[in-house]
Amino acid sequence: MTRGPALGLIVAAVYLFLLAPLVIVVIVSFDPTDAFRIPPSGLSLRWYRAFFASDTFVRAFFRVSLVVALLVSALATLVGGLAAVGLVRYAFRGRTLVEAAFLAPIVVPEILLGAALFLFWSYLRIKWTATLAGLALGHLLIALPYVVRTITAGLHGIEPALEEAAMSLGASRAQAFRKVTLPLIASSVLSGAVFAFIISFSDINIALFVAGADTVTLPVHIFSQIAWQADPTIAAASTLQILAIGVLLGAVQRAFRLRVAM
Amino acid sequence: MTPGSRGLLGVVFVLPGLLVLIVALLGPLALIAGISLMTYSPTKIWLPVFTGANYARLADAYYLGVTWTTVKIGLVTTGVCAVLGWPVAYFLARVRSRWLGLYMFLLVTPLMVSSVIRIFGWLVILGRQGLVNATLRGLGLGTVELLGHAPAVVVGLVELLLPFMVLPLMAAIERVPESLEEAARNLGATSWQVFRRVLLPLSVPGLVSGSLLVYSVAISALVTPALMGGRKVRMLGNLVYDEVLTSMNWPFASSLAVVLLCITGAVMVGYLRTMQRLTARGGMA
Repeated sequence: MTRGPALGLIVAAVYLFLLAPLVIVVIVSFDPTDAFRIPPSGLSLRWYRAFFASDTFVRAFFRVSLVVALLVSALATLVGGLAAVGLVRYAFRGRTLVEAAFLAPIVVPEILLGAALFLFWSYLRIKWTATLAGLALGHLLIALPYVVRTITAGLHGIEPALEEAAMSLGASRAQAFRKVTLPLIASSVLSGAVFAFIISFSDINIALFVAGADTVTLPVHIFSQIAWQADPTIAAASTLQILAIGVLLGAVQRAFRLRVAM
Repeated sequence: MTPGSRGLLGVVFVLPGLLVLIVALLGPLALIAGISLMTYSPTKIWLPVFTGANYARLADAYYLGVTWTTVKIGLVTTGVCAVLGWPVAYFLARVRSRWLGLYMFLLVTPLMVSSVIRIFGWLVILGRQGLVNATLRGLGLGTVELLGHAPAVVVGLVELLLPFMVLPLMAAIERVPESLEEAARNLGATSWQVFRRVLLPLSVPGLVSGSLLVYSVAISALVTPALMGGRKVRMLGNLVYDEVLTSMNWPFASSLAVVLLCITGAVMVGYLRTMQRLTARGGMA
């Protein structure tokens, strides 16, 4: 295999293909016209003003997507972190089975998870599509596998002997965990929390089924706007989402050299 | 503390997570498996009368056609991802540059952005009033329909799923010592022969796990065919969506979901297995 200019050109072309839609969305969001032209005919914040002037966009971004993502991030880190500790630090019957069960949501296509959740709540006559709880539970389900895996990996990387040493020096089990183990796995806990946030924030497949009229998330609102009237306000909203995710990832990667749990 | 009580504490720790799995995964999936065997009723949505009719209906020419379209788009998407992904995976596995972190960041970041945004980008590029058509018209070449057919859906899916192919391939290629390539070249192999005889066979585990992952996600696509395939391209995901939210034929929707779940579930279990083997082998080397 040559490692010459041919390979470089192919790789550059594939990267261009991969990044083209995102770059284009960002560029057209600053165009003063709605012609979707490249190069843009000027530079303006017209579509960002339109975004902030639109009740539905602002609501979908700040009152639904952001709130649910923060909620899911906190819950997934707590529930997933506890599960990781249980799986790594304790031996109990059926441990391997439980570990496999936490991977199960990855095996099921997201649209089927969404459809099944919607049918389940309709069957039980729970009106969760009207509240954020339904969205949060659906997103918690798809975020859990990543959080459990990330924190499990973090726990495997440190010696249990450290905790034991702290305990032999008089710390209680809880103290030893909080003062010794927790600081050591802080980066994997933070990675898990960020992953959970992003999974929830960018999900469309589950939200498409479980979001009610009052709980439309940003991706679902963008989806319906594309079908109705594709104006560059969508591009502005998209750029804001890309920005939020990019900043979050950049910050975490810088601070902790985040390893992607893929 | 006795070993028994310590084990019990472990169960307490995993319990909240298990509860989520039961309420949000096991319960709903059991329900759709059940409903898929019930009789449809236009007024009550479903009646508790046992039937196999929902599955029998899947043998209809129309639904077989949709299934075939789905499988075909999945296979083509996987093939294109493999062809485009291999050079990138090789590059990333072999490059020694301080920019590697940036290359990885650019590969993985698109995965984090909502798929609907990336598809919106493609609509801007490929639409009737889009960039490509504007350029063509500027050159006096007229307008070309770049959306509303299966190839458009493949373009969208390849862009969405390519990183899922590159990452396992990269892991596999990293495990091939560079000295092996040099040895082959010293013995007179051309670049093509090194690729065909050495690198490609040794990257098969990565190729298999990447392909299984890409395929299983591609055949459960919903948003991509809905926005890029127009009215003509219908995949199983679109059918599930319409039957659940528009036609409200939940028994039939459930039987579609069960079939799709069985296919993707089998493919994903295969993916997890090959991935496990891939990482296990790396641990030994």
